[in-house]
Amino acid sequence: MVTIFILVFLAALMLNLWLMLSMDYHRNFERYHDRLHAQHVTLVVDDDSEEMHDFLTRELGKNQQTNEFDLGDALNMPGSFLYNGGEMNHDFVISEKEEALSRSIGRVEITEEGEGKSGVYLPLLYQSEDIRIGKTIDITIAGNKIPYKVCGFFNSIMVGSHNCAMTEIILTDDKYQELAKLEYAQNATMCCVRIHDKMESQNYEAWLKDALSGRYPDARILSNTYLLVRQSRYVAASICSGIISMMAFLVLLIALVVISSNIMNYIAENMKNLGSLKAIGYISRQLVNSLMLQFLGFSLLAAVVGTGGSYMMFPYVNAMLASQTGIPYQTRFLPLPLLLTFAVLCGAVAVVVCLSSRRMKRVEPMVALRQGIQTHNFKRNHIPLAKSRVPLNAALALKTTFSGMKQNIIIGITMLVLSLVVVFSGVLIENMLVDSEPMVNLIVGETSDSCINVNLGKEEEFCEEMDKDARVENYYIYHYENVIHEGGLELLAMMCDDFSKTSNQDVVFEGRAPKFDNEIVIAAKYAKEQGLDIGDEMSIIAGGNEEKYMISGFTQISNQLGKDCLLTREGYERIGELQNVSYYLNFRDNVDIDKFNEEVKEMFGNEVNATINARATVKSGVSVYISIMTIIVTGILIMSVIVIAFVLYLLVRTMLNRKKQEYGILKAFGFTTRQLVLQTALSFMPAVVLSTVVGIAGNCAIINPLIALFLSGVGVVKCSFAIPVGLITVSGAGLVLLAFAIACLLSVRIKKIVPKELLSGD
Amino acid sequence: MKKVLLQTDKLSKSFSSGGNLQHVLKNIDLQLYAGDFTVIMGASGAGKSTLLYALSGMDTPTLGTITFGEKNISDLNSDRLAMFRREHCGFVFQQIYLIDGMSVMDNVLAAGLLVNKDKKSLVRRAEELFQAVGISGETQKKFPTQISGGEAQRVGIVRALINEPQILFADEPTGALNSKTGADVLDTLTAFNEQGQSVVMVTHDMRSARRGNRILYLKDGAILGECDLGKYVHDDRARHEKLSKFLNEMGW
Repeated sequence: MVTIFILVFLAALMLNLWLMLSMDYHRNFERYHDRLHAQHVTLVVDDDSEEMHDFLTRELGKNQQTNEFDLGDALNMPGSFLYNGGEMNHDFVISEKEEALSRSIGRVEITEEGEGKSGVYLPLLYQSEDIRIGKTIDITIAGNKIPYKVCGFFNSIMVGSHNCAMTEIILTDDKYQELAKLEYAQNATMCCVRIHDKMESQNYEAWLKDALSGRYPDARILSNTYLLVRQSRYVAASICSGIISMMAFLVLLIALVVISSNIMNYIAENMKNLGSLKAIGYISRQLVNSLMLQFLGFSLLAAVVGTGGSYMMFPYVNAMLASQTGIPYQTRFLPLPLLLTFAVLCGAVAVVVCLSSRRMKRVEPMVALRQGIQTHNFKRNHIPLAKSRVPLNAALALKTTFSGMKQNIIIGITMLVLSLVVVFSGVLIENMLVDSEPMVNLIVGETSDSCINVNLGKEEEFCEEMDKDARVENYYIYHYENVIHEGGLELLAMMCDDFSKTSNQDVVFEGRAPKFDNEIVIAAKYAKEQGLDIGDEMSIIAGGNEEKYMISGFTQISNQLGKDCLLTREGYERIGELQNVSYYLNFRDNVDIDKFNEEVKEMFGNEVNATINARATVKSGVSVYISIMTIIVTGILIMSVIVIAFVLYLLVRTMLNRKKQEYGILKAFGFTTRQLVLQTALSFMPAVVLSTVVGIAGNCAIINPLIALFLSGVGVVKCSFAIPVGLITVSGAGLVLLAFAIACLLSVRIKKIVPKELLSGD
Repeated sequence: MKKVLLQTDKLSKSFSSGGNLQHVLKNIDLQLYAGDFTVIMGASGAGKSTLLYALSGMDTPTLGTITFGEKNISDLNSDRLAMFRREHCGFVFQQIYLIDGMSVMDNVLAAGLLVNKDKKSLVRRAEELFQAVGISGETQKKFPTQISGGEAQRVGIVRALINEPQILFADEPTGALNSKTGADVLDTLTAFNEQGQSVVMVTHDMRSARRGNRILYLKDGAILGECDLGKYVHDDRARHEKLSKFLNEMGW
């Protein structure tokens, strides 16, 4: 019963945790969105003129979807600061403190502030050991490093994270005025719009940008939507929630198998008692009901303790996830997840008790009283000792294995589940913790050592310098621009002069990368939503121009959560005019990327708009996911050990009870405790080894589609993660050895069985 | 002069029950001889089975020593005792205790393979023993629940003898059998004893006790008396009367 209690406890804990995450954690976004009266569409344009304000006011007023809007002044410049040991690059929207606090739509709230009256307020997400109140940090704005004292942190639901397409930072009035007066300061209009139907935010954004770029084709525009931000700020929470749900159902499955086995053992061992009860008039339903009451009561108790445990654990999960969402969450009592957890657990237990106790209905009183326990099936003598060539202990163990099919089924299911955990953990470790590049390649697409944005007029000269520089191994255009799909949504277009030069040749997973100027590759998720296929034509708009492109392939990169496309440079230039272009550079070994970028800046001055240490940026961004995944992998591995220990505990205990007399007989004839322990542990091994091998082989085959399913929310449809066969094989062997060691340890109780108890008393 | 197989020196065994110490065996000095059919008798609670546990290495004494040949077995740990039992002792139980999941032959071989690794010679010996006790080849393939009680006990005797033990311990071997089947089992034990097998048997039954050449009577944990009946002869009335008289004297 202890085993069942702990398994149901673990299942309840994870089930409630999953339901809390999926039913309420995401709603936290809505709560803050409502509380801060946040916008559904944010648009920042590099123009703060009266004319721009008038244009926006006029256009917004025309759209029936517009509910209310706010136009405010801000500064909009690219920049970076150090976070999590890496450089975090952002498109900064810099606001003055009072302006940000008093915005009628999308206001921010200060969550913590110090004594300082002059300095910077940063989004809550970045609060860390390196970035804390009172500390002075360097923020690079438009290539200029400026020291700011951290005065506090704030919560902004739509622009409070690097996952929002833009990051707001707030300066005190004096610092804002100082920055605004600088030559490179870029004044901007920040437009926050609330619309009637927030689910239409992406269409509204596409319409607004189309209207704006039609009137101001050269305007630099940043934007985001309610749907994009809601999804992107909860990527880690969604993955974590998915993994927890998977584990919850797997543990529940094991718990149900154990309950079923327990009931069947109970019936077998109490056949005579059940026969007696029937003989004196009890009916089957009464006997089943007594079992039902017992298991339901017990499971409910375990579920109450388990859900209590989930409330104790939730703050830690929240702290872990807050490093990605950046939105504070207050743990509170949630009755619906709790009731659902109880209902699912009790319902599942009730069904299993009903099904497993069916045999009780077939028990005839006289037959039961005569037969008692029928533990063996004597159809066949497995491993006859006279002919067997295996050693005695192994032969006796195999006899036990063949006589215990229920035991083998329980072990089989447990090990199949745990082998999935091993394969999943192995793939995560290999593709995220040991080498994060496969995960980065899957989500981000293309990465490089450095990214440099240069004005078009200096492009030729820049390329000549790069050709001359021995440190540069290769470089190519990899430039992002927003485009609009006619009749669809805004897409983030990645353009390259030649996609065959890129480091990640798996960006296009079906079809091929665009080669000609009339070809396009789109995100598979978006294609599915729009009913588009390879070979179809689609109209793309940029800078007020529209052209048709043929779909040559599908990608699954997720920079814009599945709203992405790839174009050749020439392809983009059919509709849009580039003002500047970004180059990705890869260096030879041991090149100081920051030093290289500094030199380029010195060489080209204002003609270079941005130099990004892309390696450090990716490292910084990925580190949050790596730490979350490390915790998840550690958690599921610990749980695997607990599950295997408890399942084996149950099986060994049942076997020891069932075979107590047999062990006594064998001891009387000279078998030592060590031999019997070995026999017991070995008897589990055929099922353990077979199911682990089958489980690992099978799970290796399905793990990529399974992970793709988990990541489908961010646009991933196909995964091709490397499967670390060596690591998984070693882990599988470790799992088998662990099972053997646990079975040996648990079987040591055989020592207490003494043969003299077999002899008749005086 | 008979060869001493096993001897005890001030063998005592005590149990704690409800805070009280119960002395079940009290300073027993005893010698068991090779080739004897020793029968231990006594009233319920006299300590017969406890003495059998101790002599056979199934249990350790509280005080005193048990010496088998030159070896003191009273201080051995449980695994060493198991090894001692497998090499020197055979057991026949009242409840037979064959292992249900194994065939008749496997029940015997499971015990035999512990000592004899030569499977061919072991199977040959098992078959000889089965033949000696009247268990057919067909029965050898059956499972314990598929054979009669008498057959099962004869299989139990084969299992006990498979390792050619120096002493065969039998604890009420006919207790669970009817009189006809019980007589067959006793005949089997007697036959093996006549071939030189040493036997120590605990029994309540006077007809069973008659099979022994040496009768020990236990009372309150001590050997109250001993009777030498001599070699067993079937339907020997004088032998029966001698035993009756001895038991009467012992207060049985």
